[in-house]
Amino acid sequence: MNLSVSVRDYLQSLVHASARHDPLLAARHSAFITPRILGGLTALAALPLYLGVRGVPGPLEVIAFAWLIAPIGAALVLSRTGREEPAYMLSSMALAGLAVAIAAMSGGAWSPVAIWLVVVPLEAALCASRRVVAAAATVALIGYAMLLCLGPDVLGLIPPPKNGSPLFSAVCAGSAIAYATMLALGAGSMTRTGNDLLISEEDRYRLLAAHMTDVITRHGRNGAVTFISPAAERVFGLDLRDLMGHGLFDRVHVADRPAFLSTIADTANDGKERAVEFRARRHVKGLFRGAEQHFLWVEMRCRPLDSAVKVASEDGLEVVAVMRDITERKEQEHIVEAARAEAEQANAAKSRFLATMSHELRTPLNAVIGFSEMLLHEEVMQLDDAKRREYARLIHESGNHLLSVVNLVLDMSKIESGNFVITPEPFALAGVVRDCCDLLTLKANDVGLDLVMRLPPDLPEMVADKRALKQVLLNLLSNAVKFTDRGGRVVVSAKSDAAHVTVTVQDTGIGIAAEDLSRLGDPFFQARDAYNRPYDGTGLGLSIVKGLVNLHGGTLTIESEVGAGTSVTIKLPIDCERRTPLSPAESAAIPLIPRLPAASLLPVSGASENQGKKRAYS
Amino acid sequence: MPKTVLIVEDNELNMKLFQDLLEAHGYQTVGTRNGIETLDLARKHRPDLILMDIQLPEVSGLEVTKWLKDDAELRTIPVVAVTAFAMKGDEERIREGGCEAYLSKPISVGKFLETVRHFLGQN
Repeated sequence: MNLSVSVRDYLQSLVHASARHDPLLAARHSAFITPRILGGLTALAALPLYLGVRGVPGPLEVIAFAWLIAPIGAALVLSRTGREEPAYMLSSMALAGLAVAIAAMSGGAWSPVAIWLVVVPLEAALCASRRVVAAAATVALIGYAMLLCLGPDVLGLIPPPKNGSPLFSAVCAGSAIAYATMLALGAGSMTRTGNDLLISEEDRYRLLAAHMTDVITRHGRNGAVTFISPAAERVFGLDLRDLMGHGLFDRVHVADRPAFLSTIADTANDGKERAVEFRARRHVKGLFRGAEQHFLWVEMRCRPLDSAVKVASEDGLEVVAVMRDITERKEQEHIVEAARAEAEQANAAKSRFLATMSHELRTPLNAVIGFSEMLLHEEVMQLDDAKRREYARLIHESGNHLLSVVNLVLDMSKIESGNFVITPEPFALAGVVRDCCDLLTLKANDVGLDLVMRLPPDLPEMVADKRALKQVLLNLLSNAVKFTDRGGRVVVSAKSDAAHVTVTVQDTGIGIAAEDLSRLGDPFFQARDAYNRPYDGTGLGLSIVKGLVNLHGGTLTIESEVGAGTSVTIKLPIDCERRTPLSPAESAAIPLIPRLPAASLLPVSGASENQGKKRAYS
Repeated sequence: MPKTVLIVEDNELNMKLFQDLLEAHGYQTVGTRNGIETLDLARKHRPDLILMDIQLPEVSGLEVTKWLKDDAELRTIPVVAVTAFAMKGDEERIREGGCEAYLSKPISVGKFLETVRHFLGQN
């Protein structure tokens, strides 16, 4: 067993390297080499035995043995060069030579051995080369012609056999038939090997096609599909026949159709490779018409069909395309893009904040530095006592203002980082509202505003961070005063139910445009940017208000209409330590309600003056 | 005849600072907190110099400067921007907007007076 395996391996190894990559060719080489080597070796091995039995051989036997061993040479030629034609030619010539030589000694053209010449082209047929077959036939014919010319027993080496020696004829015919049968079997086996290889190749293609996720298509110049690979069924969710012709085009997103068609047409025109990305509708079973459609992102790489198989027509080249579902990649790109946009927005907000902070700090610093410099040069300035005192007061005032700006920034940063701790205590809401109003009454009177309080007598005590609530109310009130013109009115009202208190600050000021409402409460946001910012302020106030209200578990609502006024309402739990949590939707964002002009709740005052102004919270 | 300086500045303290500083050095001042009034005041008082804040209610100092420079009568009056916009690029943008000079807040009193003198031809 082991011996036969190693013999087979050895014989396989004799196949020339150039034939090994092609299974069919290798099988053919092997079929040529194996019997010749084995036959030749068998003859060699039998030689000593023959000599022992027969003694010194006659010339006929020598020739016979020489020709039996000769096929080894032909086999070695094929094994060394890998070229079939010379090997087959050698083999044919050896066979023809053997037949002619024996025939010459056994009756010439009339010898039964001449029948072997018929086998010569048969053997050559296995080579699958017409040239070799023709050459072999020629060799056989020449051999036979030689026999005819020479006549019987030219060499006179052996006496011509008795005419019609039946045994000799039978041996010759029988061996020739046996050899021809062997050749026929060999040919049959080659055909089967070829078929098997073809089938396994096809299986391999089927396997590839079944498992390949890329779709391969062939298009006419007008984009119509003339071939589409099975992967398309999975990608588009449709039968292949529904994608043929313009079936695929019909699935392409309307907006991407021009790009789809022009890519194919351009490739067909100039023969250059190009790629396009398009959206295609995926068929989802059971999806009724009008339902939301599912689109895939598809990348299509087009190249012209190989020139060897191109269909030369006036329409230009046919195009082969490879399509790939890139929906996931597109989604990733989308996510990355969104993240980038968000980062850019955050960066822009930061820059805006820095510019605003710089402005807000420099304005009071100007007074601090300017007045103190004047005090330093009091002789030049000829300052009297009253002036000096006034300047010191102004510096003090500016310093306090600077401190409040710094505190705002710190508060905001604490709220943003989650480090702001509220310290709840019980207190009367009415008292706090009154205190805050008192602080702003003077300023309101200065600018000619009415500041009105509407508090019910039964306003309960509440539990919250008193300092924070004061900050919230002062902020809302000073905003209302800041953005309301002379003659206007600011109304503070409050009410309560079992669980909540509600405070509303309503003004008749300039209002907030609907497009700005949605951004209110973003840290550092002021309606309008840079030099056009009509009001100073850090833009931090309302975001701090929002943050503080959230920390109490409350909500902030803003209603506004440009030119008619703004109403800000905060709703807080009566006891922030035992609060009933609000629903996430309620606490997530500030409900912002642009008011329609018809719905304005307050008398419109000075609307014409106020047009063109925007309200910026600080 | 004292030179007149028109000050456009919405911050009360800064307005007082500039007025006191200029008056102590012998200039006459006219002040407004509001950009829209600027042109009328300039026509009325014919100032020799205008100090312009940039962030103003209603209309920015740059816009007011543009109006001044578009006005045949008033365009010869030099405009000096005195502003707390002092980030990179602010000076260029403000000078491009038509201001003859730019001073950032907080001011240095020396440089402030020097600039004023320069434009009033008293150097």
